[in-house]
This record gives sequence, structure tokens and C-alpha cells, in this order.
Amino acid sequence: MGLISNAASHALSSSTVLIFLTLLLLAATKRLSTCISLFIVQSAVIAAQVFAIAHLHHSAEAYIVGTVVLVLKVIAIPWVLFYLVKKLRTTRDVKASLSPAPSVFVAAALILVSFSAVQSYARELNVARDPLAAAVAIMLMGCFLMITRNKALAQILGLLILENGIFMAALVTTFGMPLVIEIGIAFDVLMGVFLMGLFTFRIRDSFADLDVSKLRRLRG
Amino acid sequence: MTAVKLLQFVVLLASAPLARGIIARLKAILQRRSGASVLRPYYDLWKLFHKEEIVPASASWLFRAGPRLAFALTVTAAAVVPVLCGSGLLSFSGDFILLIYLLAFARFLMMLGALDPGSSFGGMGASREAMVSALAEGPLLLSLIAVAILAKSGNLAGVVAWTTGQNFFDISAVHVLALTALIFVVLAEAGRMPVDNPTTHLELTMIHEAMVLEYSGPSLAFIEWAHALKLNLLIALIIALFAPWGIAAQTGMIALLLAAVIYVVKLFLALLAVAVLESVVAKLRMYVVPEFLGIASALAILAIVFTVILKR
Amino acid sequence: MLIVFAALFLLLLAAPVMAGILRILRPAAAWGDAVSAVITVMALASGLAATIGMWLSGIPLTLDATRFSPFVFQLSIDRLGGFFLFLVCAVSIPAVVYSLPYTGNHYGNAQRTCYWVLLPLFLLSMVLVVTGASVFAFFLGWELMTLLSTALIVLEGDSGERRRSIFIYLLMMHAGAALVISAFLLFSPYVPGLDFASIRAAGALLPGSLKAAIFLLAFIGFGTKAGIIPLHLWLPKAHPIAPTPVSALMSAVMLKTAVYAFLRFVFDFLGGGPEWGGYLVLGAGAISCVLGILYAMFETDLKRLLAYSSVENIGIIYLGIGASLICVKAGEPAVGGLALLAAVIHCLNHAIFKSLLFLGSGAVHHRTHTFNMNEMGGLHRRMPVTALLFLIGCVSIAGLPLFSGFVGEWLAFQGFLGGAQLAAATPQVVLPLMAGVLALTGGLGAACFVNVYGSIFLGRPRTPAPEAAYTDEVPRSMLASLAVLGSACVLIGLVPVVVIRPLWPLIQALVPGADYGIVSPISGGISKAAVVVVMVAASTVLVRSALRRSAIWACGLSGLTSRMEYTASAFSKPIRTVFAAVYKPERKLEVLPTEQPYFPNAISYRSRRTTSYEQMLYRPLFDSLMNVAQQFRRLQTGNIQLYLLYIFLALLSMLLLMRFR
Repeated sequence: MGLISNAASHALSSSTVLIFLTLLLLAATKRLSTCISLFIVQSAVIAAQVFAIAHLHHSAEAYIVGTVVLVLKVIAIPWVLFYLVKKLRTTRDVKASLSPAPSVFVAAALILVSFSAVQSYARELNVARDPLAAAVAIMLMGCFLMITRNKALAQILGLLILENGIFMAALVTTFGMPLVIEIGIAFDVLMGVFLMGLFTFRIRDSFADLDVSKLRRLRG
Repeated sequence: MTAVKLLQFVVLLASAPLARGIIARLKAILQRRSGASVLRPYYDLWKLFHKEEIVPASASWLFRAGPRLAFALTVTAAAVVPVLCGSGLLSFSGDFILLIYLLAFARFLMMLGALDPGSSFGGMGASREAMVSALAEGPLLLSLIAVAILAKSGNLAGVVAWTTGQNFFDISAVHVLALTALIFVVLAEAGRMPVDNPTTHLELTMIHEAMVLEYSGPSLAFIEWAHALKLNLLIALIIALFAPWGIAAQTGMIALLLAAVIYVVKLFLALLAVAVLESVVAKLRMYVVPEFLGIASALAILAIVFTVILKR
Repeated sequence: MLIVFAALFLLLLAAPVMAGILRILRPAAAWGDAVSAVITVMALASGLAATIGMWLSGIPLTLDATRFSPFVFQLSIDRLGGFFLFLVCAVSIPAVVYSLPYTGNHYGNAQRTCYWVLLPLFLLSMVLVVTGASVFAFFLGWELMTLLSTALIVLEGDSGERRRSIFIYLLMMHAGAALVISAFLLFSPYVPGLDFASIRAAGALLPGSLKAAIFLLAFIGFGTKAGIIPLHLWLPKAHPIAPTPVSALMSAVMLKTAVYAFLRFVFDFLGGGPEWGGYLVLGAGAISCVLGILYAMFETDLKRLLAYSSVENIGIIYLGIGASLICVKAGEPAVGGLALLAAVIHCLNHAIFKSLLFLGSGAVHHRTHTFNMNEMGGLHRRMPVTALLFLIGCVSIAGLPLFSGFVGEWLAFQGFLGGAQLAAATPQVVLPLMAGVLALTGGLGAACFVNVYGSIFLGRPRTPAPEAAYTDEVPRSMLASLAVLGSACVLIGLVPVVVIRPLWPLIQALVPGADYGIVSPISGGISKAAVVVVMVAASTVLVRSALRRSAIWACGLSGLTSRMEYTASAFSKPIRTVFAAVYKPERKLEVLPTEQPYFPNAISYRSRRTTSYEQMLYRPLFDSLMNVAQQFRRLQTGNIQLYLLYIFLALLSMLLLMRFR
């Protein structure tokens, strides 16, 4: 077996491990730019998975999806986010309402929960359990990050991570959604990021801060 | 075979200052300085061994015996680690547990040595070291145990043999989690950057340097050598547990030479990683260190849980 | 052999009698105590001889004294009882020897006689507990142990604060004893006589639910005596206020009798207990060892610190027992045997190093007249031998290799690692995680005892007054008892086989199917490493250099005063900050005068641990108990006719009970 085929055949199971690691480190990190970098790593791992599937199934469509993921999630969206960080000239902190070590414990618990949740489901559908669990864990972590991070940019990041989870779940259960839908969703997300970026500017202008907990002041 | 084991033990012992010199040089290059020679730590040791020793008037015999015993304990810990062939000089069931505790004993003696003269710096350093080491021990042991469970073996030789037989691309969650936890802990244990700054002499930040402030001459030489050896042996341990591929399976001259070359490459990569990390990462505040080690603990616990999840 | 065994009891009875007689005949003679001490030591030596004889032959020794008593009264040494009898006798000998100078220094004549009457009786009670082979004999010892230790505590004084501690001690001990009695009573329908042999035979026939109930009662009842958290409340109150040799005996030996009784119930009578039993014991052990050492870290009173550290070590012992129960239930007796061996060896080691440390603390007190570590410092110069022996104790209790404390922990780690290979998922996760708990405990323990040794013996004196009081070493007999215990720590630490091999028959008796095959390769490793350490350490001596004594670095100032030195509280501060959630400390900092915060004349800092769960757990219990007590007070009118009525009613109800049975 060639080196690439060897790597590709283990890609799906091995890369889930890296995804777990990115999730745990996302919980641990306090700095926004590090979070974005971790998002890049996570997206790159998912893109690699798509390419591995494309290689094993010789599917041209999958190559295209992989390229879209690579361009959008590894390059374009992070670039936009970094741009926002720079432009908004905000503090580096994500303003977490839970400190790192407990966050990591929660993340670990979420990973275990997702494992126990998909246990029977994966057997029924006859799909690999670990990647499916990873997908669920990504979604849960996305939610968790949005709940515990107060800065608007970190919330955008949480949403993007959530979307990564949905994408990966689709990848695991059906080896990818149809190409058109996939690309549609991808651009949807891109537009979402742009829109939310605009909103963050507005939030900053109105409240002189990016802390979304300040939005409470809007209440009459 | 015994000759090979003895050789790797001696190499580990002798190359410890070199590893330190390489890190310092790499850091210098990363900071656009030319830096000192990589052999600098050897010159330092030579100088210290020939210097007069100044002992505080208030110190007991422990002040001088501590560093020597700590050195002996660290050397013994090094004898457990496999480097070139699949087993250390000392190899028995549970050897990695003993390794951890030998290092703990060495630290215990260093803390006592720091408290001995009754200076404020010594107390400060020892007290901080006590906190770091108490919290580091759990994740260190758990991550090693996680790997041992997966390999179904109670000693390092067994783990190395099992890992060598695995496919490199078949990365298991246990290994990744345990490795991450272990890297965190090793940085803390060896007093490297995010936890302790090895080049600082600012009393607000220093841990290890505060402990050894009163030492001079041969005692300091033993401390420095043991400290360098600790980093070297922990890196060797990580390499043996997580990337043993290329370790010599038989005793032939060529196999051994090949193993040595591969090991040197791996070691250099590890040292480069340390140097890069130290150049880009800022030191953590004192009371963020427990958070850092708490994360390591969470990772290590998860690694243990994964040993069971992966089985079913 | 039986005669030797009987001599143990007779001599222990003779010692207090001699002490009393000599007091009457020769009131002024100082050698009266020595006579009592010699007889006691002879008794303990005969106990050792009887145990060793029994151990070599393997045949239990039994004394049946039912003839002389209204109840079944049997005494016997089997493997389990024998091990603990050995422990009682071996550790008590140094404590008795140590008591001689202690009583000579601390007590007046009357108190001294009381001490020498009570001490042998206290030892006798513990011997009764571990050799009792019938319910009555066991219980006689069990209750006497509590009462006599209380009497010895009272001997040291009975101020208000002490009375409160003693009250809590008695209250909790009797609550525990009530549960133990209930456990025995649950057996009674199935057991004709109340001797242990028939209980053992009945144990297998009991229905599961009853077994579970007995297990639970025994766990809580003996757990109270052993001092597991949250039943430890009395321990740090009662142990520190006892006379120092008695503190040593209480921590080192009395707690172990509870472990003995628990092992007797679970392994011998119940054959393993319920499915969840192991996890209960494991959980209690984990909580006790981590919280125990954390609480110890907070203390600056040396004896209280040592008392909390006993809680920690009992926790470690319970970890081993729990792991063993789980493995035996899961059908892995080989691993179960290993874990139990860890627990048993830690029992022995803890007895040795804890009595060493308690007696050492007594030696320190002997010279400094304080137990407050913040006031000590630099004692190594005045008492070098005590310092060395105390250091051995500290290294041992910190669980560091080449000393005895490590052996038990090392075996426990191996047991936990073996537990990962069990078939079921739960132990596969739980047991390795316990290794993490044990490692955390070990790390904290090392930090705690660096602090203890460092602040007592190292550095410079922290208070000027004691410096003048420091004279020189403590008396030879004190040093001799410390030296015996210290050398045992070193011997066991360097060559663990000397205890592992002899203890193996005990493990085989308790865990059928235990396999020495997996223990023997383990035991040699430490000794091999020890050889390397000694060789390298010896070769460092070859490096020689000139030596100069000089003042310590003071940042260019003229010198450091003792007030600038780190104290014990300062040392533990970082760890206390990390675990603030556990302590919930209440801090009080006063800087005087307040208008110059940076140049104060005086700073007073006080930090108190407020552990909320104790209040949560004990307050309602205590309140309801007081309420019930108030109700009962109504019965006590002082009217003699009413008391007669009570007796009459009791008699009547008994008769009715007989009628309707």
C-alpha cells in the first residue's frame, strides 16, 4: 500500500482525534486569534478528510467540495475574521465566563456525551462511530463556545464551528451532501460572516465594546 | 545487549548539557542573535566543578548532600529510559512509575536544599516549585498509564515494543491526548517557558532559579547537570513512547547506528519545537500555572477514558 | 506457643498492677515507671514471639477463656489477626520506651502512675481487638480502647476546649460502636454461638440484602474509627491533645485496628461484600486521601497536621482495599491480591513512619515547648540526630522511593494498572483514574512534608525566644525509639521483599487465587534502582572542592532578619490559593498603623479554614440529636420513685416479650 493510500485510509479515524484536540484547545484558549487559528486547523482537518474520501472513492465531486472547504473555511473566512480583529482594534481576550481548566473539563464531558449519544445510532446506520461522535462533539462545542464567550467575534466563531460539525456529520453519514447544496451552504456561511462582521462594527460603535452581554442594555 | 543499554544511558547522561546548548543556540538564532556555542553548558560545568563552594553559615549537611543525591536520583531515572534499543538499562514492571517518583524525590531534595539556608528567595522558589510539582504529578502519571493500558504492558520496554508494531497513521485518541498532556507537564516539570523562565533572575517570576540562588561551585554544577538531564530524559521518554519507530530491534552495528541517527533527528526536532515555543510564548502568570496544569489533567483523564471507549 | 500467647495478656495485666503497687510501697521512687515499662515491653515481645511462631507454623493459636466468663470468650491469632497483632506490638515497643522520659518530664508523681496504669491497659485493649475471636472479646477490647484512650487524653489536662474535643471523640466513637453492634446483631439469627468461627461459616449462607446491610454498617461503623472523611471529625481534635506517645499509638495503631476489623468483616465474614461495595470503599478512600492531605497542608500545628495526614494515609489504605474488592468481584483475584497487598503494606508502613513522626514531634516539643511550626526553624543544629530521623519519616510519608512509604503506593499503582485489564468497563475507567488521585495525593504529600521538615529543622530560628531554650539533643532513650523506627523505614524502602514475602500468606488467606507470580517481579525493581542511586551518589563524593562558609545573599543589605524568612504558612500559600475552593478560607489581615500601609509597625494575619460541608452534614444531625436529648431529659427528674418505675417497666416489658415470643 502506498504512503498516500495508507494515510488516506486512516484519515477519517485519525483526523477525528485531531478534531477532539482542537475542541479541547478551543476550550482552553483565551485569546481570540488563537481561537481563529484553531478553527483553521479544524477546517483543514475536515478538508483533508474530504480529500481522503475523494482519493479512496475516486470522486471528482468530492474533490470540488474539498477545494471549496479549503478555500472558504481555511483561507477566506479566517482572513475575514483576522481582518475584523485587526480593524476593530479590540482586546485579545474572548471574555470567557468560565476559566480555562473548567472549560476543558466541560469540553471533555461533552465529547464523552457525544460518544454515548451516537453509540447505538452509529451501529444502526452502519457508519463509523468515532467520526460521527466527533461531528456531534463539534456541534456541542460550538454551542458551548457561543454560550460562554461574551465577545461578539467569539460568538461568530462558535457559529462557524457549529457549522463545521453539521458539515462533518453530513460527511460521515452520507459521504457528503450533494454538491450544489454543499456549495450553497458554504456561501451562505460566508455571507453570514460578512453580515455579522457588519453587526459587530455596529455593536462596537454603539456600545464602545464587543461584549455582547452589554446588549442587555437594549432592553427597555 | 547490556553494552548497548549502558551506551544509551551514558549518551543520555553526557548529551544533556548539549541539548541545553542547542536550545539556547536555536533560541538565539530565532531572535537574530548569533548566540553562544552549543558546547557552552559543558564549559560552564567544567568551570563550576573547579570552583570554590560557598555554603551559607546557616545551612545544614543537607545543603550540600541534596544536589548530589538529586543528581544520583535523576541519573537513575535516566537509566530507565529506552533510547537506542527497546529497553532501558533498568527495566522492570512499573519502571515508568518509579521514574516519575525518582524525579519527585530529586525535587523534594532540591526544595529542602532551597529552604536550608533560610533565605527568602529559597523559600519563595521552593514554595512555588511545591505547587507546580504537586499539580504536575497527576497528569504526568495518568498520561503514561493511559499509554501503558493501550499497550497492555506494565513497563516501558513493553510499551515501546507495542508502539513500534503499530501503523504510524493509525493515530489513536489516547496517544494524541496523552502526548498533549505530557508536553504540558514536561514543560512544567523541566521548568521551561510558559511555566518558568530558565533565563530569568527576576524574583517575581522565577521558580527554579530562586531555589538554586544560594548554590555555587560543584553543587551548582550537579544541579545544572541534573536539570539538563531531566529535560533530556523526559524528551527521550516522549520519543520512546510516542514515536519509537526506528529504534534498534537487534544489536547489529548498522542497526544501532541507524537508530542513533534517527534518534538524533527526532531529538533535534523536539529541541527545535522547545526553542520555537520559548520564543513565541509568553510566560504565564504564577496563578495561571494551575490552570495550565488543570488543562493537562483534563486531557490526561480523557485519555484514560478513551482507553475504554476505543475498546468497545 | 500458647503459653507465650497467654503471657502477653498476663504481663499486660501485671504491668498496671505493678505500677500501682510500687506507687503505694515506694511513693518517691522514680524507677517504679521503669518496672512497669519493662513488664509492658516483655509482654509486647512475647506477643511478637507468639505471632512469629504462628506465622511460621501457619496454624492459628487459640485461647478459650469461656470458662472464666459469662459469654463466649475466645482469643486467637490467625493470619489476619496475627499481622495486626505484630503491628500493635512492634510499634508499641518504641512508644513505651519513649514514654519513660516523656512521663518523667511532663508529669507529677500521681499523673505518672496513672499513665503507667492506663498505658498497658490501652495496649491490652488493642491486643484484645485484634486477637478477639468472639463477639464479646472483640467488643470488650473495642470499647475499652475508646475509653482508655480518652482517659489518657484527660491525663494531659481537661480545659474547656479539650473537653469539647473529648466529647466529640466519645460521641462519634459510640455512634460508630452502635453501628458495629448492629452489624453483629444482624448475624445473630444465623449464628448459634457468637464466636467468629461460626460467624464465618454463616457468612456464606446469608441472603444478599442482609450481606449488603452488614457491609454498610461495618463500613460506617469502622470507618468512623478509621477516620475516613466525612467521619473524620473527631480525629484532628482527639489525636493532637493526647500525650505524644499516645498520639503516636492512636494514629499509628488504633486507626489500624479499625482497618483490621473492616478487613475481618468484609474479606473473612462476608467473602467480599456487595457489588457496589468496592466502589464505596474506593470513593471514601479517594476523598479521604486528597482532602486529608489538603487539610494537613493548611495546619501549622505540627500534631494536627500529622493527624490530618493520618486521614490521608487511611485513605490510601482504603483505596487499596476498594480496588482489591472490585478486582475480586470481577473475577481477577491476582490483581485483587496485589491491591490488597498494597493496602496491608501501607498499614504497616504508616504505623512505622507515623509513630516516628509523632514521637519526633514530641522530641521537638521536648526542647522547644511548642508545636507551632511558624515559631520554629534551624533546629538541625541543636538536634542533628532527631533531625535526621525526622527527615527519614518525612521522606517515607511523602511516598518517595527508597523509603518505606513508596512501597505501598507503588504496589497500589500496579494494582490500578492491572485493574485496567478487567473485563467490565466501569473498573477499567475508575481504577486507572484512582492512580491519578494517588499521584495527586503523593505530590501534595511531598509538598506538605517539605514544608514540615523545612520549617522545623532547616533555615534559621523564626522566633528569638526558643533559641535560648534550645539546648541540645533529647535523651538517648527517645533517640533510640526514633532510630529503631527510622531504620525500619529505610530497610523496608530499600528491600521491600523483606515485608512482601512474609505478608504473602496473609493475602492468600484473604484472597483465594492471589498470584505471587505477578508480585515477585515487581518487588525487585526498587532494590535494583536503589543500587544505582547509591552507586552514583557515592561517586559524586569524588568531586572535591574548597569550601567556604559565608552569610546568605541579602540583596546587598546588611543581613536578613528572621522576620524575612518564609514561614510554614507562607510556604503553603500557593497551594492553599489553588485549592481555595476546598478550604473556603476566612482571612483577616490587619496592618497597623492603618495610615501607613507600606511601612507598618505590625501586621497580623489570620486565616481559618471554614469547611462548609461539615456544617451542612453535621449541623442538622447534631441539632436533631440535641432535640432528642432534650426530650430524654424529661425522664431525668431526680425522683427516686420514678427511677424505680423505669426499672419496673423494663422488667415488665421483658417478661411480656418472653411471653409473646
